[in-house]
Amino acid sequence: MNRKVLVAGLAVVVPLIALLVLNLGRDPHAIDSPLVGRVAPPFALVPVGGGEPVSLDSLQGRPVVLNFWATWCVPCFQEHPLLVSAARRLGDEVQFLGVVYQDEERNVQDWLDRHGSSYPTLVDPRSKTAIAYGVIGVPETYFIDPQGRIVAKHIGPLDGETLMARLSQARGGAPRASNAP
Amino acid sequence: MIALLGRSLILLALVASSTGALVGLAAGWRASAKGAVLARRLAYVFAAAMAAANLLMVWALLARDFSVSYVAQVGSRQVPDWVAVTSLWSSLEGSILFWGIVLGGYVALATWTNRDRHPEYMPYAIGTWLACGAFFSFLLAGPAQPFHSVPQPPVDGPGPNPLLQNHLLMVVHPPFLYLGYVGMTIPFGLASAALLRGRLGNDFLRPLRTWLMAPWVFLTVAIVLGGWWAYEVLGWGGYWAWDPVENASFLPWLTATAAIHSAILTERKGILKGWTTTLVLASFLLTILGTFMTRSGVFNSVHSFTQSAIGPTILVFLATATIWSVFLLAARVNHFAPEGRLEGARSRDGVFLLNNLVLVLFTFTVLIGTVFPLLVEALRGVQMSVGRPYFDRMAVPLGAALLFLMGVGPALPWGSATGEQLRKALLPPLAGAAVGALVGLAAGARSPWTLLTLAFAGYALQVTLREMSLPVRQRLSRGEGLVPALVAGELKQGRRRFGGYVVHAGVVVVVVAIAVSSTLGTSEELVLDRGETATVGRYHLTFLGIDEVREPHRTSLAARVEVTRDGKELGVLSPRMSHYDSQREPIGSPAVRTFLFEDLYLSVMNLDAGGGRLGLHVFVNPLVGWIWPATGIIALGGLLAVLPPPRRRTAVSRQPVTPPAGLGPAPSESR
Repeated sequence: MNRKVLVAGLAVVVPLIALLVLNLGRDPHAIDSPLVGRVAPPFALVPVGGGEPVSLDSLQGRPVVLNFWATWCVPCFQEHPLLVSAARRLGDEVQFLGVVYQDEERNVQDWLDRHGSSYPTLVDPRSKTAIAYGVIGVPETYFIDPQGRIVAKHIGPLDGETLMARLSQARGGAPRASNAP
Repeated sequence: MIALLGRSLILLALVASSTGALVGLAAGWRASAKGAVLARRLAYVFAAAMAAANLLMVWALLARDFSVSYVAQVGSRQVPDWVAVTSLWSSLEGSILFWGIVLGGYVALATWTNRDRHPEYMPYAIGTWLACGAFFSFLLAGPAQPFHSVPQPPVDGPGPNPLLQNHLLMVVHPPFLYLGYVGMTIPFGLASAALLRGRLGNDFLRPLRTWLMAPWVFLTVAIVLGGWWAYEVLGWGGYWAWDPVENASFLPWLTATAAIHSAILTERKGILKGWTTTLVLASFLLTILGTFMTRSGVFNSVHSFTQSAIGPTILVFLATATIWSVFLLAARVNHFAPEGRLEGARSRDGVFLLNNLVLVLFTFTVLIGTVFPLLVEALRGVQMSVGRPYFDRMAVPLGAALLFLMGVGPALPWGSATGEQLRKALLPPLAGAAVGALVGLAAGARSPWTLLTLAFAGYALQVTLREMSLPVRQRLSRGEGLVPALVAGELKQGRRRFGGYVVHAGVVVVVVAIAVSSTLGTSEELVLDRGETATVGRYHLTFLGIDEVREPHRTSLAARVEVTRDGKELGVLSPRMSHYDSQREPIGSPAVRTFLFEDLYLSVMNLDAGGGRLGLHVFVNPLVGWIWPATGIIALGGLLAVLPPPRRRTAVSRQPVTPPAGLGPAPSESR
């Protein structure tokens, strides 16, 4: 038995394998947002088609669902009916807001006319709000509690179950890390 | 029915391989000729069962038999037949099945070509190969079973990942990758056999080198094909991004390259046997590490570890194989008796050693950069990634050092050299170095690393051509004709040597192309209204409008951009932006026009729906187009080196005359 070879070999190999074992359950798609648990970046954005700017401050006291989306995004189209029906059903309990991500206002208006809506959709000039929230792609949805703190972030299209779970968090559950699509 | 048959075939492969592994190892241990025959037969059974299971799956995919779980998962009536066939390896379970047929093929071929050679090693080797085969059969029988029965088959399936359907390169890249990855099992088995046998003689280095070189060629081609695909499809203007999946294929390539060189030294001088063996073992283990890292990656979602049952299973195999290798090496390496000694650092031998050290350093550099994010997250719970700057900063000097050694090494004589010999060998190629640097300066290169790389490349190229032509020049000076001298000197007698230098020449071209394209390229982001023209360097680009192309699985917007260069019309290029039904983000498909010295590369950044305005990313990439044909040269050189020599008689006469008696294990106290 060559002890030098054994010790050197194990010294290289064992830590590497241990590292892999430790990371086995890791999901690289789960990107922690540093914003979760923090106060949501403020904004005041004009709705599509014009009108008074909607500001986050004016919505305090209610949970807010902030959905970044675009007309060119297929999964946004997929999750749209869920958001529309949830917003109708929950009425004033929860404020749903759409924020347009890298799109033309005219396209958005056409799209909304065709597919319907039940909550305001805001225009985000030069993506300032998207940048403040650290949006990396659409759809991305932020759940904000009545005190104006971000409690959860969802990447990718929402399903009903996830939406309800995150909403109950926003209504008073504990802050939780983001999750994967 | 088909599902049941498939499961039976996989069970047969599992039984044959696990039995064969035990029989082979036992036959090696007890020097049993009967056991060796049985192990060989079981190897053929394993290969046949895997081949049949694969054919069955292809048949089910073509027949769109959705009662087979894998077909229900990746099959589709919408896709053409060639896509149906390639979806064999487009998803996790199928890719492991495909691994099975490649492994079976390799094992059968390696067993058959050595059926009456190396009787003292082969049972151990077959046993080791079949142990690996047993693991993959087990994966297929359990965690990655592709042949589950679907009780109520769907009418149609979703089809494979669309990203893998959009380019022909994606059809050829995975098979090459598997031929490279899986092929490393063969040298692993041979090296394990040498360790188990406690002997690594010159006779056995020949098959070891051959079976190392073959997967190396495939792996090289696969890595470049992957880069080519990224370049042609992904639209960010480059071909290599140091992401974990790419690194996963690069790591075994580095160690295998080191092993090929170290094996030459072992063959010539009878030294570094343990080191060569270590590198061979490491190359195989790194392919398994890569498989672990990408196990769903390349196939399901591009760069990820996902939670699937197969991950822990591969990790158990990786850990077992790695720890076993370390123990085997430690227990047996002292049995390798060196037959010579290293002479002088100022010799080709010394440079071979340096080359090995740099390659191993390179391996650790890439490995650390790849796993470092895991370490940080495990220790501090913080997510991070190691970006290009780290890899580029490390890879440039290491690559330059390798290129330098590639010039100096072959210039030096074997053994020790006198000062006069050194001057004669090393000084003339400085002319090539000067030419390389001057050409770079004339082409506008100012970065010291680029100029240094070009100088080293000029040096290495001159040495390579000198060494390559040496046998012919010797024959010509003896009065032979040019053609006979070429045939005899390069293709018959010195073919392996000649092949090696052809590989070196190809590598020089690739390295030059990488150095130049990554430092001398230009790129510009344009916003063009319809009918507007912009100028980038020598090119005038006019945005004519867009076409909408609807296909079943995607909708594409293709921009028509008219291109002229120096006033000469070059036609219309059509970079596209495609929306796949199953993807969150649109995917751009760039348009590339290749000229002799540069590529014009157009990629759509954004398009408004009316088609009135185009955001266009324009790259002018020098020399990228040289990488692909140069890789062809490398592959050709590798083939020349690896094809069996035409002189069967001498091959037999090189066989050791040791009788099979007394071939049992080394004394057991050493265990």
